[in-house]
Amino acid sequence: MATIKHSLLGVLLSGGFLFAQNADVAKQTLSNGMKVLVQEDHNIPNVAMYLFYKIGSRNERPGTTGLSHFFEHMMFNGAKKYGPKQFDNEMEKSGGNNNAYTSQDLTVYQDWFPSSALPLIFDLEADRIRDLAFDPKIIESERGVVYSERRSSVDNNNFGILREQVQAAAYTAHPYHWPVVGWPSDIEGWTMEDLRAHFKMGYSPNNCTLVVVGDVNTANVMELAKKFLEPIPANTPPPPVRTKEPVQNGERRVTIRKPAQLPLQQIVYHVGDSRSPDSTVLDVLAAVLTDGQSSRLYKRMVDGEQLVLNVNAFANTTLDPGLFSFIVQPKGGVSLDRTEQVIYEELSKLQTTPVPPEELRKAKNQLLKQQYTQLKTINGRANLLGSYEVFKGDYKKLFEEDKEIEAVTAEDIQKAAKTYFTVSNRTVGTLIPETQK
Amino acid sequence: MKLALFVALAALTLQADVRLPKYTRKQLPNGAVLIVIPRPGIPLVQFRVVVKGGNEADPAGLTGLSDITAQLLRKGAGKRSAAEFSTELDSLGGTFGAGSSETASFAAAEFLKKDFAAGLDLVSDAVLHPTFPEAEVKKLLAQSVERIKAVKDSPPQAINAYARRFFYGPDHPYGRVTDEASLGKITPQSIAGFHQRQYVGRNLIVVAAGDLDAGAAMAALEKIYGSVPAGTAYQYQPAKKPMPGGRLLLIDKPDATQTYFEIMQPGIRRNDPERTAVMLMNTLFGGRFTSLLNDALRVNSGLTYGASSRLTQSMESGTVSISTYTRTDTTEKAMDLALDVLKKFHDQGINAEQLASVKAYMKGTFPTQNLETTDQVASVVTDLEVYGLNKGEVDDMFPRIDALKLEDANKLIQKRYGTTDLTFVVLGNAEKIRAMLKKYAPQMVEVSVKEAGFGK
Repeated sequence: MATIKHSLLGVLLSGGFLFAQNADVAKQTLSNGMKVLVQEDHNIPNVAMYLFYKIGSRNERPGTTGLSHFFEHMMFNGAKKYGPKQFDNEMEKSGGNNNAYTSQDLTVYQDWFPSSALPLIFDLEADRIRDLAFDPKIIESERGVVYSERRSSVDNNNFGILREQVQAAAYTAHPYHWPVVGWPSDIEGWTMEDLRAHFKMGYSPNNCTLVVVGDVNTANVMELAKKFLEPIPANTPPPPVRTKEPVQNGERRVTIRKPAQLPLQQIVYHVGDSRSPDSTVLDVLAAVLTDGQSSRLYKRMVDGEQLVLNVNAFANTTLDPGLFSFIVQPKGGVSLDRTEQVIYEELSKLQTTPVPPEELRKAKNQLLKQQYTQLKTINGRANLLGSYEVFKGDYKKLFEEDKEIEAVTAEDIQKAAKTYFTVSNRTVGTLIPETQK
Repeated sequence: MKLALFVALAALTLQADVRLPKYTRKQLPNGAVLIVIPRPGIPLVQFRVVVKGGNEADPAGLTGLSDITAQLLRKGAGKRSAAEFSTELDSLGGTFGAGSSETASFAAAEFLKKDFAAGLDLVSDAVLHPTFPEAEVKKLLAQSVERIKAVKDSPPQAINAYARRFFYGPDHPYGRVTDEASLGKITPQSIAGFHQRQYVGRNLIVVAAGDLDAGAAMAALEKIYGSVPAGTAYQYQPAKKPMPGGRLLLIDKPDATQTYFEIMQPGIRRNDPERTAVMLMNTLFGGRFTSLLNDALRVNSGLTYGASSRLTQSMESGTVSISTYTRTDTTEKAMDLALDVLKKFHDQGINAEQLASVKAYMKGTFPTQNLETTDQVASVVTDLEVYGLNKGEVDDMFPRIDALKLEDANKLIQKRYGTTDLTFVVLGNAEKIRAMLKKYAPQMVEVSVKEAGFGK
């Protein structure tokens, strides 16, 4: 829906792409530490601008969970030069629109606009980073909006309910334990002081990567960045996240019972972080399992035994060690023990038998093609460039991703399967329909 | 002065670029329309095959037939079994999707540039030579019945299906919603019959787009699609009028902690002469973040995460539908506020500043929504064919936007955004909201999500 702003999507990176000849990205670091990446593309007269702030729910603590996400909302509610509503009014009347998302690791602001609006967008972004306003009335109203978002994405969404509880069970100590949207009592409880402290901690230029892709002139963008953003002083970035999740020493199980037509299942395993060498291996492994109708789990679970409507496997890209997830939509009346069992059997095959060469080739081709697909839009490219810069430490890694994918061997997959897919490393969640309430 | 000149120049540049890319169109003797759109750059090619006649072509009682037929295209085609098709497709890293809309069935596929020939062969085999094996038909029908349950577990999806059914009524093609009963009547024979009747030269539009050689691509399409039987052109049958307004459907979902609602009234056809103006007005009313509805229900009052007005357009007149959700105990407040915004919009109209703002917004967002990617362009071009429109739909979009005068905009609002005879569809915890809802419509119907189908 066009008017919906501020989603909770995490950044799902499924690799990079093979566009070495297109690596025409300019990078500059402003004197206050803000990184600026620019890629020109004059296909359409539009621009995508992304600001990646390295602050997310991992930087929160009990009592203020969900604050990063709430703050993302507050960033649209007025600053010094552009007061309440003006950020959106000015942008839309100049032909632009915007959104934002918060994940466990990041808060990301997105602006899409005709190139003629470029100076205005810089002015708007600079204004809210430098001089955000904190109006108590607006804070209360926005609290209602965020609670509505929680009701939609969690309380009235079976996947949301299950995912939240599985995540909480899989992480007992690390901040990934709590949901990005926050626990209900914290949404009700944030104070003005919490907000101010959060702004000071996360919203300094040295904690931000700015990406501009589209119908622009690189020198002009750098000039505007210097004019509008460079004068904003640097600040101490958020303190490192100290807590490490202890090794899981036994299977954990979560059950949710509620009125529903169909059950749901989610199985997760702890894996490495976004810079782990296994990250690409797990992408290829996931493709073997669930990418396309010739994938192993689709063939067996959707097509052969007809147990489920969908099954998806994927590894999250996260700054701290993340999860490899299976999300399963079983058919009604199907045994959830059976769906679970089939997944374990297929994981066991990966551990014992190398993936045959033609099947490995297929999975790699699927991933390579997906990279091109993500390149199609200025929006996709801005998101990818920034994500690689933040998660992998250098946007250039994006242009090496094809080599990374090609380098994955059947032995790598077998090894990763043995390392991660163990009984004691997994958390299993099921949502069981209650027929009568 | 300098600034004004700069803005004017920028606007000119913007305008000059917003056009459909050059493409070749050819109609074959069997009626098939072939279109080739070269777009060098990213080394991908896109195939899009559109068959005139979608849901509206479903025979009475067999709602979902066009969609089921499209979904089965890949489940056995020519000499390939379903499994062979999938392995070949996935090995190329290709993607293939098929389905049907109200007006047309479609298949869309994307491949790496180097796989043009192999990709075209796969797509064409699926579209022209599907085998509809009985086992695959049974499997898909069983899955589709289960998918209805999944839809009912998702309130935003569910309310959509109920709303269509309720607004148009069961005798209108758009009011026929695929359900357990209609799926139960679909057979391999009816599927094969639909394919034979609809997937013929006179109904086909075939597009190849992307990083390709235009001449070679056209020759390749012609070779394959030239031999398709011409068949009988699908004749669109004008539909009966939707049901009258003044009715409310309450869908009971006892575990819901928020109420989802739609307030509907008749909209316009896809080819309505006033369509650009209506799109502009709907954007102001409920189609962007600063829209009147979102401003009132989200920004000013915190009642919801988002409120919008959705405009659906098709061969027949679609709907204008206010759509939002709020926690159960603020249902009345939110519904009253939505109606209040509608009334103010109707009675007071808009001012020059609002009109200028929405014009700039439409121009600024149009390219990324319609012209950026090859698949967008392929989709826009096939739409022109299906609805009998021409390139001016895109190329003259900006002049049409510019041409709308304030006075005409306000007349249009009075005509299109009525405040009486509205149709209400509400999904939530019925016990808590039932009594309060009576004030909105003289006639109220209640169903439970647990019942089969999407309403009586």
